[in-house]
Amino acid sequence: MPSLTMQSPPRQNMLDALKGTWPDRLLLLIALISIVGTWFVIQANIAAGPAIAEIYHGGTLLASYPLPQEGEAPITLQVKGDLGLSDIIIDEHGARIASAPCASQHCVLSGPHAHAGDIIACVPNKILITLRGSAESRFDAIVE
Amino acid sequence: MTSLARPPLKELETKARWLALLMLAIGLHVFEASLPSLGPWFKPGLANLVTLIALAMMGTQAAISLSIARILVGSFFIGTLFTPTFIIAMAGGLSATLVMVAAWRCIPGLSLVGISLLGALAHMLAQFVTVEALFIQQSALYYALPPLLILSCISGWINGALAEYICGRLAHEKI
Repeated sequence: MPSLTMQSPPRQNMLDALKGTWPDRLLLLIALISIVGTWFVIQANIAAGPAIAEIYHGGTLLASYPLPQEGEAPITLQVKGDLGLSDIIIDEHGARIASAPCASQHCVLSGPHAHAGDIIACVPNKILITLRGSAESRFDAIVE
Repeated sequence: MTSLARPPLKELETKARWLALLMLAIGLHVFEASLPSLGPWFKPGLANLVTLIALAMMGTQAAISLSIARILVGSFFIGTLFTPTFIIAMAGGLSATLVMVAAWRCIPGLSLVGISLLGALAHMLAQFVTVEALFIQQSALYYALPPLLILSCISGWINGALAEYICGRLAHEKI
């Protein structure tokens, strides 16, 4: 087995260690370029159009709602997942899960999300909320 | 009475070292679970840091067995054993370990920093693939992946530097 500590002398200094070797930096560069590239492609595909929240249970789409503008009434709904009922509130701040039957409550604690590409997932209950489009696009349409 | 004969000191030392690393990894696993999180998907990966140190100091088998044992016992302590959280943690931890082992063996010139970077990326990707395969069959999940992968790059790089530093110090002090 190759021993890498033989190739590079042991680093006694944390700052030296943070610099990495040339192959490390090349790898980081490749990783960052591909991640940012993918991010742009995803955003280009989902950021267009009005802001919409889609709600899934497992593989099925349960509902999809446009995000309300300021002053419009919030949308509240209850969806049934594998464990029980999750309460979802969609208002001008975005979509959030208000209560969930799972033990971890990660989905509730993550709060409201409104940006295209944000997701709220409750894995134990198999509930997913995704957001696409942007709230500003209505105004863009007016300007154009 | 040969079964009671004391095993060679070298073997005992290896076992003791593996167990000490396991205790450290379990401690970090529990500590990380109690940290205020940046969301359910992201942790700093300090427990994986121990896997990396085990890989560098003790080899492939020790690293793989350490990560499996750490996730089993750590999940037992934080109360997620055999829940979806545990399945996702196990998929992520095992993928990270296997990718790090492969990188350690096959890619020349990488320091522990680059190996840790690959491990962190593998961990994040495996979590999403597992959720998509077993729980929520929606490719829309992957929309959230790129920003999280960038966080993985940062945490993986820092953990790798920490591992490099720790291994350097341990080798220097001839432990």
